[in-house]
Amino acid sequence: MLVLTRKVHQSIVIGDGIEVVVLEVRGEQVRLGIRAPKDVAVHRKEIYEQILEENRNASLVRPEDIPE
Amino acid sequence: MKLTQTRFSTIEFEKEDVLTFSDGIIGFTDCHEFVLVNSKPESPFRWLQSIEEPSLAFLVVDPSVYVEDYAPDMPTTTADELGLEQETPRMVFATVAIPPGKPEAMTLNLAAPIIINAVTNVAAQVVIEDAAYTMKHRVFQEANRVSQKTAA
Repeated sequence: MLVLTRKVHQSIVIGDGIEVVVLEVRGEQVRLGIRAPKDVAVHRKEIYEQILEENRNASLVRPEDIPE
Repeated sequence: MKLTQTRFSTIEFEKEDVLTFSDGIIGFTDCHEFVLVNSKPESPFRWLQSIEEPSLAFLVVDPSVYVEDYAPDMPTTTADELGLEQETPRMVFATVAIPPGKPEAMTLNLAAPIIINAVTNVAAQVVIEDAAYTMKHRVFQEANRVSQKTAA
């Protein structure tokens, strides 16, 4: 993993169209601003993983278990 | 008319039935075209069936069947992407999880509904930032609430 040190209001650029800015650091919380093209989906990782899990579950339902 | 062999049966659909998910569905972003297929006649449950991947279908249901006043606030960027204005007709579905053999433990994902512009058939799975809506909304009351708490 690439590791970079940044200060508040500094940013990193990923590829041509993505910028991640450190907006605020308060204790254990970091606020980030993300500029990305519309077709790049940005998610909090734990939310993304939960949705993925629920999508997977919905794709595995057996027809015989569907309520009447 | 097109025909696709799915894991349930051979389905028939028209070009105008095809829903386009330009971002795909989370975890399945290679699939962009789906159709809605009835699970059984008269049932509110539908399969969101992938056209590109015949073995892939998500069980979905209109959340209003089970949840009163389900009215998630959609991010404006999503409304723009879907071309939804105030009055645009739309369809909303929640994905449904049912553990094998346990229909009573069915849950709906109310925090990431599938929203479809019913005019253009442009669709997306939308993340709702509202603590009132969970990804595992239990539909049926549990017989033994104590065991539920212990499990949680």
